[in-house]
Amino acid sequence: MDVLSFLLKLVVVVAGGWLMTTRAIPWIFVRLARLVGFRAKITPVTRRRVDRFKRIKRGYWAFRLLSTLFVISLFLEVIVSGRALVVVYDGEVAFPAVAEWVDNAAFFTDVNTFNKASDFGQIGESEVDYRQFDEWSEDPGALRSEIANRTADADADAAEIAASAPTADDKEWKHKAHQRKVTKLEKRRGEIETLTANLDVFENGTAFAVMPLYPYSPSEFRHEFEKNPPNKPSFSTGLLLGTDVSGRDLVPLMAYAFRISLSFALIVAFVGYFVGIIVGGVQGYFGGWTDILSQRFVEIWGSIPFLFTIMIIASILRPSFLILVGLLILLRAWLGITYYVRGEFYREKSKDYVHAAIASGVSDRKIILKHILPNSIVPIVTFAPFAIVGYVNALVSLDFLGFGLPAGTPSWGGLLRQGLENITFYPHLVIAPVVALALTLYCVVMIGEAVREAFDPKVFSRLR
Amino acid sequence: MISYFVRRILLIPITFMCITFLVYFVMRSAPGGPIEQARQQIMMQDGGGGGGAAGEDLELPQAAIDQLKRYYKLDKSKPHGYLIWLGLAPDEDKGDRFSGIVQGDFGRSYLWSDPVIETITSRFPISIYFGLIGYFATWLVCVPLGIKKALNHRSMFDTGSSMAVFLGYSIPGFVAAMILMLLFSTELIGCDWFPLGGFRSEGWDDMWAKGEVWWCIKDQLHHTFIPIIGYVMGGFATMTILMKNSLLDNLGADYVRTAFAKGLPENRVVFVHALRNSMIPLCVSIGHAIGLMLAGSFLLEKTCNIPGLGLLGFESIVGRDYPVIMGVLVFAVLIKLVGNILSDIVLAFVDPRVRFS
Repeated sequence: MDVLSFLLKLVVVVAGGWLMTTRAIPWIFVRLARLVGFRAKITPVTRRRVDRFKRIKRGYWAFRLLSTLFVISLFLEVIVSGRALVVVYDGEVAFPAVAEWVDNAAFFTDVNTFNKASDFGQIGESEVDYRQFDEWSEDPGALRSEIANRTADADADAAEIAASAPTADDKEWKHKAHQRKVTKLEKRRGEIETLTANLDVFENGTAFAVMPLYPYSPSEFRHEFEKNPPNKPSFSTGLLLGTDVSGRDLVPLMAYAFRISLSFALIVAFVGYFVGIIVGGVQGYFGGWTDILSQRFVEIWGSIPFLFTIMIIASILRPSFLILVGLLILLRAWLGITYYVRGEFYREKSKDYVHAAIASGVSDRKIILKHILPNSIVPIVTFAPFAIVGYVNALVSLDFLGFGLPAGTPSWGGLLRQGLENITFYPHLVIAPVVALALTLYCVVMIGEAVREAFDPKVFSRLR
Repeated sequence: MISYFVRRILLIPITFMCITFLVYFVMRSAPGGPIEQARQQIMMQDGGGGGGAAGEDLELPQAAIDQLKRYYKLDKSKPHGYLIWLGLAPDEDKGDRFSGIVQGDFGRSYLWSDPVIETITSRFPISIYFGLIGYFATWLVCVPLGIKKALNHRSMFDTGSSMAVFLGYSIPGFVAAMILMLLFSTELIGCDWFPLGGFRSEGWDDMWAKGEVWWCIKDQLHHTFIPIIGYVMGGFATMTILMKNSLLDNLGADYVRTAFAKGLPENRVVFVHALRNSMIPLCVSIGHAIGLMLAGSFLLEKTCNIPGLGLLGFESIVGRDYPVIMGVLVFAVLIKLVGNILSDIVLAFVDPRVRFS
């Protein structure tokens, strides 16, 4: 049953991710584009390039794999999390994992993700222990043995308290201490009674929970093992990748770090390209003093040792995700592409179709956006994947040095630092992030190579 | 051409001042400056951990604060302080002399209380040692590999080695060094061959004094191996692909066809005619490599615990040692700017077609 449900969830996640990536998201994009009045006409040139890309199997499959994984990772809160997808208890229904996802996705509002333990057949005012709830609902015997254990404990304590009861000639504080113990014991008895009363609900089957695929969150500490963390990976403890030095499970850490790294790189690349294309386009299109002055500025700006500068600023600011994105864009991301776009615009501007457009009085903005830009798309597209590799590595480097995302954020670089500190005894702390990083970036490089081959095919002819 | 280089060299001070002013401004505006640090130091000495209330009483006397402010030029405006630091405005504390980085005075380190310039010049050779060896090692790997790949374009060897090149591209150098340390410096697979970081062994200087030159060289190489592979991994993918593509471009060029048509043997055409021209883009990389040497060295020197300029920069940021931070920044910027110009000069030497304007 356990393995079966795991496989079932896995199939649902993979199939859902696949359909989402290949069907739903393209459909949504097309719909949205039509809504704002943009109808993409695929030109024969683009069609040929896309076909060529699809024919390069390595790159195409790397693209499908990575895009699917990334789309799946956008829903990590409902796939890898310590919160249940659905909890039903005696008429009470809650969707804590889904609520968490909505809370993170809709960052501008606050969505309640909290469910009190006492509302769901457990003890206390804190959050429900969903894994325990799941265990009890699947096998009420677990709850029964828990009750038996607690009763035995309470009985033993009761005997002890009774034996050490103070006599009349003891000091007052002893009486008070005794009274406190008795009150505590009564409270525990009360808890046991509540649990016994709740046993019914669990036995009737009106309580059930569906846990996510991997029921641990990246922020949860796993201290249930004999050894102090870090724990090495082993099948007997169920820790597939081990834990880090503070006891967090490496599986959710790796998964969330994948999402954070890739979205970081994508945002930086996207915004950086946006700025860079505008700057480079203006430089190349207008030329003259605009070009000379801004080119000097780009040169000066490009000489800033960006890693060192980000480290200095980060040591002062303690940056959040968005500030780090902003810093990297400001200091690095927009620079590289300006050279290519500028050169490309210079070349295109001297061509006849641009002269014709200028002569017929088309506005500058329209010439840049509608005439030249689509014709200078090649360097922009072919450099993007390699830029993404660079930004993922930049984030890993910053995290590794300790000047990256806030402490506690799942990150490959942070794990690498822990790994370096414990390299002799806990090699898994190095191996896990290195493998994750290398596989991800290898896929990106594959995609990049295929895109380059498809958009900018080099035909080498040589005599022998 | 000379006017081009003169212009480039004239641009150095402007670039330099823009960058240093930016960083000076950021650091002056930042909280937790030297006064805050002095206050904390005094609290540590006096109170130890004497509770929260003690902190209030241990406020520095106003006179001391003023003195510190005066010493760190915090009483001046930011541009004025910057000019003093640069050495273009007289410094009252030093008898109205001009004494700043233009005169080679970087101030004293808070952490080590040595003059910054001494700290940096003592660390700099270590970075150069690794950077140079790493750069030449990269050439030794990339040029033959690139040639082989170009000559056997689309063969099994080419596709196979492309995989390795892509993997090299996706793994940063410091991660590669970490993998090597895991494999060959720990007992993981039973090959504990190399030391876990460090520049030299503990007693290196003693052994050197005793005249055990052979032991010293061996020890040095022993410590050099893993970081160097890290350096090579950092730049090897780009350079191999550059070499390959550039050679392929040249092999398709008309002059190569002419050479073949004359009946020259293939080896001569490839290695004498085409190869020389296809080395041009690689030569240009010298300047960028010098810049990268420093940028990459933060990570590698931290990973392999090499006390070079990168590690110094890292330690100074962690310890908020502003004079050293500024000193390392000045060095980093200068190296980068000089490297860029060096690239141009090298290009002008190896490629007589290039006309700068």
